[in-house]
Amino acid sequence: MSWDKDWRTSEIIFWPEREEVDKYVYTPGISGQELAKALMDGRVLGIKCKDGQVYVPPKTYCPDFSQGELVEIRGPWRLLHYTVVYEDLYGNRLQNPIVIGIIKPDDASNGLIHIVNAELERLRPGMELKPVFKPKDQRKGIITDIDHFEPV
Amino acid sequence: MSRVAIIGVGWYGFKPSTPEVHFQGMMFESSSRAYADANVDPRKDVDVFVDCQEDMWEGIAIADEFAPEPIGGALRPTFTVAGDGLLGVAHAYMLINSGLANVVAVEAHGKPSEIKTLNDIYYFAFDPLHLRPLPTGNPFFLAGLDAQAYMARTGTPRESLALVASKNRSQGLLNERAPYAARITLDDVLRAPYAIYPMSEYEISRFSDASVTVVLASEEVARKFTDRIVWLDGIGFNTEVGTGAVELHQWGRMPSMRQAALMAYKMARIEGSPSRYFSLAEVEDRFSFMELLALEETMIAPEGQAHVSLEAGDYDFNGPLPVNPSGGSLAMGIQLEATGLGRLVEAVLQLRGEAGQHQVKGARRALVASWRGVPSYTSAVAVLSSEVNS
Repeated sequence: MSWDKDWRTSEIIFWPEREEVDKYVYTPGISGQELAKALMDGRVLGIKCKDGQVYVPPKTYCPDFSQGELVEIRGPWRLLHYTVVYEDLYGNRLQNPIVIGIIKPDDASNGLIHIVNAELERLRPGMELKPVFKPKDQRKGIITDIDHFEPV
Repeated sequence: MSRVAIIGVGWYGFKPSTPEVHFQGMMFESSSRAYADANVDPRKDVDVFVDCQEDMWEGIAIADEFAPEPIGGALRPTFTVAGDGLLGVAHAYMLINSGLANVVAVEAHGKPSEIKTLNDIYYFAFDPLHLRPLPTGNPFFLAGLDAQAYMARTGTPRESLALVASKNRSQGLLNERAPYAARITLDDVLRAPYAIYPMSEYEISRFSDASVTVVLASEEVARKFTDRIVWLDGIGFNTEVGTGAVELHQWGRMPSMRQAALMAYKMARIEGSPSRYFSLAEVEDRFSFMELLALEETMIAPEGQAHVSLEAGDYDFNGPLPVNPSGGSLAMGIQLEATGLGRLVEAVLQLRGEAGQHQVKGARRALVASWRGVPSYTSAVAVLSSEVNS
């Protein structure tokens, strides 16, 4: 009965070994396919929309529902906003804090989210950063082909 | 077009864990209480059932098929909304206002204590190719970016964020649904190390388990069941860019909440300053800065000025506009998709004069504003009123 609940956790049965499934195949989409090729080539693409705005990373469609055109992003890149992660979701302190930034190229309207390798005292919105790509044979066509951003 | 009334609320949990019931059991508990509160028989009186849940939080695929029986909706019109409970209330409003239903029940629940891979599920909501693979350490980093952008844009000092945490966690001591309430001083918060810059652990809400059920009815039918009516005068909902394009979010703002508020205020015919219209506000505060941002996006405070009113004590329990007299999510926790409904319950109890030790005297009009949380940019806003207290 609903009013007759067990209240001692030792009497309640758990199956702690069960986990959620997490294996999927993801296709990148039309623009994502082109971005994947560009990343493996050490380049970044954006999408130029009907209203002239350029967004990174490029989606297959624009926020205004128009189909944009792919353009190469050349930079320079600047730190727009940043945060520093000191703890994980469960409250454990990380061994090394992680700096995460919104890094906006001058030739786009928004920025990429990425890891920033810079001393905490040096972090300033507006500072110029550059993408550091992984060695070519380690690139997979996803965002981590850029290993991190660092000060110029 | 009928006015829409809230005629009953029921809840179960608001505890860090609830191992004594499974999630369906929790749904049954809150629904039994809501139907008793509203004095309705769900098998005869409720026309449509709305259930708010999300498969990954349940750990069950096609979890909507689990919805009907625990809320009394088997072989009755039942549907699910994969979103915050306040979005379910918006559906109820439409069903009643259009005349399609006279009585609608909305249930939402969250049982985060049982999700072994909570961190992974948050990351599972990120774009799989362009965001999820980054070694970011904590999915709530997105809130850190918004907090830093908000402070930079508005000049809000760090002390104001800390003050929100101190105010809400202390205020929650008077609320029986606030397991994370504690006497936390401003100094405690300021002395704590950053968890996610620019916020300490005191400023980031923890999780709690809860199920909440709300019963709504048309004006004519409502009066048959109860005289403790709370009116749902307006409700709005909106999504910004969605989590498929987090990079396009307007950092340091929550435009979806502003649009939801404009929609709700128009329905409620609120003209002039909303800050003078409400007796209390229950607004999103799962991160300290969000309370201030929510007050600005709902136009309670002018842009960038919420911290000035906060520091002046305007949002204190005894101030002109008590904000989160419940203690908010900082004291109550995050109950996943039940978070918004939990805050709606707080507002309903306040307007019925049944909020107990944290009752706001003479409460007649309440604002409820919810955000679905990281990594979403979806908000809902409700405007409530009642004559019960007058």
